[in-house]
Amino acid sequence: MTEALIVRGLDKTFTKPAVMDLDLTVHAGELYALLGPNGAGKTTTLRMVAGLTKPDKGEISIFGIDARAEPAAAKAITAWAPDEAMVYDRLTPLEYLEFVAGLWNVEPKTAKARAEDLLSKLSLAAEARTRCEDFSRGMKQKVALAGALIHDPRLLILDEPLTGLDAAAARLVKDMLQERVDAGGTVILTTHILEVAERMADRIGIIAGGRLLAEGTLDALRSQAGEGKGGSTLEDVFLQLTAGDANGTTA
Amino acid sequence: MTLIAPGSILWLLGHEMRLYWRNFRAGRAGRGARGLISLIVVGVMLFGGGVLAALGLHEVEVPIHPISISVAALAAAVVFTLMLSQTLSASSEALYERGDLDLLFASPIGPAKVLFVRSLGVAGGVVTIFALIVTPLLLPSVIWGHPGWAGVFGVLGGLALSSTAVGLLLAMALFALIGPRRTRTVAQVMAALVGAAFFLVSQTRTILGEQKSSSLFAEITRQAQEGRLHPSPIMSLPLRAMLGEPLPLLTLLAGSAGLFALAALALGRRFSDAAAATQGKTAARPAKATRSEARRAFSAGPFLATVRKELLLIRRDAALLSQVLLRVLYLIPTALLLSRNAAEGAGPALAGGAGVVAFLAGQVAGSLAWITLSAEDAPDLLAVSPARIRTLRRAKLAAALIPVALFLVAPIAVLTWFLPSAGAWTALGAALAAWSSGLINIWHQRPGKRADFKRRGGASWMATIAEMLVSALLAGATGLAVAGLWPWALVPLGLAGATLLSLRRGDAQIARNLRTR
Repeated sequence: MTEALIVRGLDKTFTKPAVMDLDLTVHAGELYALLGPNGAGKTTTLRMVAGLTKPDKGEISIFGIDARAEPAAAKAITAWAPDEAMVYDRLTPLEYLEFVAGLWNVEPKTAKARAEDLLSKLSLAAEARTRCEDFSRGMKQKVALAGALIHDPRLLILDEPLTGLDAAAARLVKDMLQERVDAGGTVILTTHILEVAERMADRIGIIAGGRLLAEGTLDALRSQAGEGKGGSTLEDVFLQLTAGDANGTTA
Repeated sequence: MTLIAPGSILWLLGHEMRLYWRNFRAGRAGRGARGLISLIVVGVMLFGGGVLAALGLHEVEVPIHPISISVAALAAAVVFTLMLSQTLSASSEALYERGDLDLLFASPIGPAKVLFVRSLGVAGGVVTIFALIVTPLLLPSVIWGHPGWAGVFGVLGGLALSSTAVGLLLAMALFALIGPRRTRTVAQVMAALVGAAFFLVSQTRTILGEQKSSSLFAEITRQAQEGRLHPSPIMSLPLRAMLGEPLPLLTLLAGSAGLFALAALALGRRFSDAAAATQGKTAARPAKATRSEARRAFSAGPFLATVRKELLLIRRDAALLSQVLLRVLYLIPTALLLSRNAAEGAGPALAGGAGVVAFLAGQVAGSLAWITLSAEDAPDLLAVSPARIRTLRRAKLAAALIPVALFLVAPIAVLTWFLPSAGAWTALGAALAAWSSGLINIWHQRPGKRADFKRRGGASWMATIAEMLVSALLAGATGLAVAGLWPWALVPLGLAGATLLSLRRGDAQIARNLRTR
C-alpha cells in the first residue's frame, strides 16, 4: 500500500514539549482523523507536516518525498487549511483563488475553470465577486477550502474544517471530502466533533500530551481501550484513552 | 465594593483607558530598550529646547497686539485642523470597528453614554499626542517665570474636545449623505485633505504663482506694519487663553466642552444605529461581474499572481490611499513650482524640487513596501505554498513600486519636457530612492497588521530611520545632479550606498529575524 504520509520520531518543544517522538502513517486514499484534547499537539503536528513549523527532530515523508529536505516538492502536492481561514478580506473569492492558484503555479485556464467549479460546488458562485470582508466565518472557511483544493492536492490537511459552518455547509464540506477520498485523494483532519470522525474516518489517531496514544480503525481503537467490538462509541473510547491528559496547553 | 458604580461614565472611561493602555503596550511589545531609548532621546531633546526657550523668554512678556493675536489664532487653527484630521478618521473607524461595540450596545448602558465615553477616548488620544510634544517644550517656561502659559494645555484640551465634536458630526453627516458603503473611504480621504489643508493654504501663493515664497508669518507681519491687520476681539481668545487669562480660558473650555457634550449626547442613538447599519455593508462591489472582468484570464505563476493581489489590496485600502494622498498633496506645491521653474528654464532652481520628488518617492515606496512585504494578512498561506520566497518578495516589491512610478510620471514628464537632463536625473534619483526603501523593508521586515499602517505600528524602528536617511541622501544627490554639480552628487550617493551595505541582510538572516519575532 502506498503511504501518503510517514512521520517518524517527530519532536517539537516550545516552552514545553508539544510533540514527542511521534510516529504516524497515513495510507494513500484514506481519510485519517487526528483526535485529541485541547493542547494535545494536533495542530503542531499538522503544522510541521505542512512545513509551517520546523521540527526539532524527526522525519516527514509525503508520498515518498522527504518534506524536510525538499520542502517545495512536498508543498506542491499538499494543501493546508487551518481552523482560522487564511483569506484576504479585501479580495473576492475568485481573486483569492486566482492568487492561490498562482502560488501553486496552476495553469491559468485550468485554474479559472477549477475555481468556478469549486465555488459553485461550495454554493459560493453568487458571492464569487463580492469581497470577503463581510462574509461569515463559515463562508470564509468555504473560500479557504476552495483555495486548498484549487491545485488538486494529493494530500489535504484540514485543521477543524467544520468550525463555524452551519448544518448545510458542514454537510456540503463532508460530502466534498468524501468524494475526494472516493476519488483516491488523501485527507487528514482534526476535529472535536467525534461523530464526524466516527462516521467518516477510515482510521483514527488519538494524540495526547504530544504522544500518539492509539491508532487504527474504530474497532481497533475499541480493542485498545478494552471495549467490546461495536459496543461503545468513539466518544467513550476517546475519553477512556485520554483520561488524565485533557488539560494540556499547547495546541 | 468599587468606588465607581459599574455602568457609570467614569467606570466606562476606566475600561476604555485600560484597553487603550494595553493596546499601546502591545503595540510597543518587542521594541524593547531601543524603543525606550529613542523615546527618551527625543524627550530629552525637546526638554533641552524647552530649557533654552525658558532661558531666553524668562524676562519676555508676550504682548497682546495684532501680530501675536493673529499668530496665536493661526497656530490654534493649524492644531485644530491637524486634530480634526485624526478625530474624523477615528470617528469613522469607530463606526466600522466591531470590537466591543456590539457588547456595549447590547448591554443596558445607553448608547449616548457609550458614545460619550468613546468620544472622550478619541479626544484623550489626540490631546495626549500633542501634550507629549508640547509638555517638555513648555514646562520649563511654566515653572520658571510664566506659570500662566500652562493655559496652553487648557487650549489643547479645548481644541481636542471641539475637534472631536466636529469630527463626529462630519462622520455622521457623511454617513447620512452617502451611506455606510462609502463613508469609510470618503472620511479617510477627507481626513487627509483636512490634515493637509493648512499646508496647501499656506502655499496658495506658490501654487497660484503670485510669488515664489512667502510665509504666512511674513505676510501677517507685513500687513500689521501697513496697519491693515485688525483682528476681531474673538480672535484674541486663543492667545489670552494660552497666556492663562482665566475668563478667555474658561470661555474656550466651556464652549468646547459644550460642543462636545452636545455632539456626543445628541448623536448617541444615531451612532448606535449607524454602527449597526455598517455591519455587512463594507463591501461596495456588486456581485455581477463586468464582461471584461469575467473574460479576464487568471494570472500565471506566483510572481504575477502576487503582484496582482498586492495591487488589488493597495487599491482597496482606504486608510492607505488617504496616507499616500496626503503625501501627494504635500507634493503639489513643489510640483507646480517645479513646472514653473522648468518653464523659465531655471536649471539650478529645479534642484530643490527634484530632491523633494526623490525624497517623497523613497518615503511613499517605504510605506507601500512595508504594507506589501511585512503586513501580510495570510503569511501561513505563503509559507505552505511551493513558491520561492525570493519570487514572492520580488513580486511584493514590484507591487509597491508600481504606484510610486505612476505618481512620478507627471512631475518627471514636465521636467523632461522643459529640461530633459533634469527629468532623467530626477527619474534616476527617485527610482533609486524608491528601490532602496524597498530593499530596506525586505532586509528589516517586521510583520505587522495591515490595520497598523497609519502609525507604521509594526515597522522596524531602524528601518524607518534608515529609509529616511537614505532617501534624504539620494534626494541630495538628485538635487546636486540636477543643479549641474553631478561630481558632488557622488558624495551623498556613496554615503547612501554605504548605509545600504551596512543594512544588508542575507536570506538566512532575514528568516532568522522573522522567526525570533
